[in-house]
Amino acid sequence: MFGFLKQVGDYTRDAVDAARNLTQGLSVTFDHMKRRPVTVQYPYEKLIPSERYRGRIHYEFDKCIACEVCVRVCPINLPVVDWVMNKETKKKELRNYSIDFGVCIFCGNCVEYCPTNCLSMTEEYELAAFDRHSLNYDNVALGRLPTSVTTDPSVQPLRELVYLPAGEVQPHGVSPDRSRAGKLPEQILEELKAAGSRKAAEDGRESSSSASNEEESAG
Amino acid sequence: MVTSLATTAPALVSPGLDLEQSFSQALEGFGLSAQAARMLWLPFPMLLVLVAAVVGVLVTVWLERKISAAVQQRVGPEYAGALGVLQPLADGLKLLVKEDIIPDRADSILFTLGPVLVVVPVILSWLIVPFGQNLLISDVGVGIFLWISLSSVQPIGLLMSGYASNNKYSLLGGLRAAAQSISYEIPLALAVLAVVMMSNSLSTVDIVNQQTGAGVLSWNIWRQPVGFLIFWICALAECERLPFDLPEAEEELVAGYQTEYSGMKFALFYLGSYINLVLSALLVSILYLGGWGFPIPVEWLASWLNQPIDAPLVQLITGTVGIVMTVLKAYLLVFIAILLRWTTPRVRIDQLLDLGWKFLLPLALVNLLVTAALKLAFPVAFGG
Repeated sequence: MFGFLKQVGDYTRDAVDAARNLTQGLSVTFDHMKRRPVTVQYPYEKLIPSERYRGRIHYEFDKCIACEVCVRVCPINLPVVDWVMNKETKKKELRNYSIDFGVCIFCGNCVEYCPTNCLSMTEEYELAAFDRHSLNYDNVALGRLPTSVTTDPSVQPLRELVYLPAGEVQPHGVSPDRSRAGKLPEQILEELKAAGSRKAAEDGRESSSSASNEEESAG
Repeated sequence: MVTSLATTAPALVSPGLDLEQSFSQALEGFGLSAQAARMLWLPFPMLLVLVAAVVGVLVTVWLERKISAAVQQRVGPEYAGALGVLQPLADGLKLLVKEDIIPDRADSILFTLGPVLVVVPVILSWLIVPFGQNLLISDVGVGIFLWISLSSVQPIGLLMSGYASNNKYSLLGGLRAAAQSISYEIPLALAVLAVVMMSNSLSTVDIVNQQTGAGVLSWNIWRQPVGFLIFWICALAECERLPFDLPEAEEELVAGYQTEYSGMKFALFYLGSYINLVLSALLVSILYLGGWGFPIPVEWLASWLNQPIDAPLVQLITGTVGIVMTVLKAYLLVFIAILLRWTTPRVRIDQLLDLGWKFLLPLALVNLLVTAALKLAFPVAFGG
């Protein structure tokens, strides 16, 4: 008899728990209804890519020395460096350079290892094409600079979460002249410089100035 | 059968707007016979309710999409009309002009008959939905029972279309729909029975009239809180709304019995499911939330303002208030159903059947017995 009553009691408690959890869940979903949509209305609004964004690769033909380091560091040896040896000058003569962005995985190894910095990453990510062969960019196409999201008059640029001012979670309606949360790289650099010069003044040693120079080049 | 409240206090209950009578009188004034006037009257409420049902579906679809978007912090339909109000219309038009495909080796007759069998009983059930004392197509004596019996035709259509599609997902969906509808119909009917027991009538008008005594306090939800919950859970299960949408569980069964359907036949399923949702919400508001009743009885308001309850203007206002209240209560419930959709995960089939047979059915039986006992003990409060 008591076993049965205990069963009934347990069952009732379970049902009450379930009902409480359900109301808690309903209050969560109800609470979400008054929040602003996080939607970025894509062709009209675009997020500003971060400064480390690895987009389509930019290439400067005149800087290239046809060393083929980019080909060797590429996971699939993708860049095509078309050069001939000029017998008279005993120098490589570059004729064509191309990267197929239908195959590229945008790992950035070529950009990292390029000895003359003729390769760089842009913030372009809209690479859709009707034909996959048109994704094979030659040196002319690689030399074009993309339209920046911030300068395009038909686009409303929106900042990503980490680039928003402290306390803001929505990019909509945040004024562009409000700085992001935390210190900017150049502010950190200035502080380091100031600290370095102060230290140098205190110690009267030369070594600190070279340290700050190093940091400047790293920043 | 006559309600006790109507017999004991006839002066309190307003006779309501009787459009049919006014219409017939006007036509008889032109020299038509009473029967001819009735024949001319008949199509009006039917057409009106059909249009109301379809418009109700469009509104519900729009609400569903907008509320779903808001819950998920999205925008939802935006470009078709202001705030996307024309989106459901655009969807409907798209389905209307799409190719009507009957799969090869499907049973074409059953395949076509399935959606029809699903939609027709649902639309037919609107026969008994009252928006006011006389604002319904037909005050059938067996009103609410008619709805229960019509809603049990639906699983046949679902099973039929699931079987006729010649597709494993469709068949599984159809079988699930049948199992679900059959097991949730029983607690649903028992919950309705408890209400019927209190109002001594199966007619929806009598059920609402029995709740109009003291405004919000006399609504059935206070006397039947358990019955209300049982009915609402079962109604969601009958409509295949989200905690119980196993028959069309898109992650497992593609789209259940709708998998092979496209074009107008799919539109019929779509229409049927949403009409059913609105209908269920309307019936919950009729059975438990006082139907067309305003939270404060309009008769009281009229007497406080020293207005005769039979005056044409007062009748018009009470009629309008009745329609607005019914629709408002129904759409509040639709809103809760949409919110529940994004709150609760889908139950498994064993949990579904457990809930139906091991929890709701005993609870509904206990509720019925307790109601019977209370009716015998306190006939004043529980409609003796």
